[in-house]
Amino acid sequence: MLLAGSFVVVALVFCLVTILALFGVTHVSMSGAEAIERDGLAPGIPAPAWSLADSAGNVVCSPPRTPLQLIMFTDHSLKAFPSVVDGLREVMAQERLEIVVLTRRRNELAEPVLRSIGLDGISVLTGSPSLYAAYNVRVMPFAIFVDSAGRVRASSLVNHAWQVTKLLQLADLPLEQQSLPPRGLFRRRAATAGA
Amino acid sequence: MDVLILCAKTTVACLLIVAGGAKLSDPASFASTVRLFIPFRVAWPLLSAIAVGVSLGELAVGLASLTLPAITVVNALVFAVACAFVAVSAVGYAFHRGRSCRCFGALSQRKFDAPGLLRSVVTAGIAAVALAHVGAPALQLDATARVLLLAAAGLLAVAAFTAARARGTGSEPEPEVVAQ
Repeated sequence: MLLAGSFVVVALVFCLVTILALFGVTHVSMSGAEAIERDGLAPGIPAPAWSLADSAGNVVCSPPRTPLQLIMFTDHSLKAFPSVVDGLREVMAQERLEIVVLTRRRNELAEPVLRSIGLDGISVLTGSPSLYAAYNVRVMPFAIFVDSAGRVRASSLVNHAWQVTKLLQLADLPLEQQSLPPRGLFRRRAATAGA
Repeated sequence: MDVLILCAKTTVACLLIVAGGAKLSDPASFASTVRLFIPFRVAWPLLSAIAVGVSLGELAVGLASLTLPAITVVNALVFAVACAFVAVSAVGYAFHRGRSCRCFGALSQRKFDAPGLLRSVVTAGIAAVALAHVGAPALQLDATARVLLLAAAGLLAVAAFTAARARGTGSEPEPEVVAQ
């Protein structure tokens, strides 16, 4: 009986320690600047190639036919980020830029909601979790700029209009001038503010 | 000595539960590892089913080992699973060196390499220690203890599943062409 009691105690302690270790792993992976830095793809590397049709049947490809393509990884929840919507409105007039919204899965709400917030003319495409994984995107709204050669030019989580416009500026820079990968704009902004 | 054996038994059981729970969070990813070990072309749904089956098997053996310590045949089963890990690691090391083994789903980025093979051997060694004889009557658990252990093991599996899912999407993306 003493042995059985010991076994229960040992087993519970092992389980507890392992659970605490798993909590630690999860916490580290989900918090801090490093977690944000980990998302997206570094500039210069080939972006996944795909071809998807929107609800009207228009086929959209990546790499794009235009010089630049902004892939917004989001859905109807973009409505909760009015500043990002403002940023998109600011850049969507540029002819050299094609903006597409890529949802993680089929989302009937996405298109009408995006229309209602003034993002007409942006193709809403149904992606997949594996496509999100291919772009290394776990959080929304996330923006990735891809050039016509299929290379990633800039990528970051976006929560404000300035981040969208700043990303576009970075995407316009020649790849050789992007000494630091423009991933995790929050971190760079915070560093600047701290200085 | 008995406490050492019980620690060994618990260690391997926890390891199996964590490995099974973590793999279940992303069966598609583990299926790509399973595909490495099947020499002929297999349909993706079947690979996914094998991946889920292996994950559930690990989870079930771990749960059984933790909650049914008096049943000695479970120790042999755990040892057999640990030996299978060694075999898989050895084959992976020989033919797929450097590829991700996804032994713990997205929880770790372990690869088929020499340290991985060594870890498998150590795990098998610990499982062998757990084979040592401990009087079965002395390990008879009452219903309360069994429920408590089952709850702890379940919590552990859920924690592993959640942690692996949280880390999952960001690790080792594999670009693919998607058409609709």
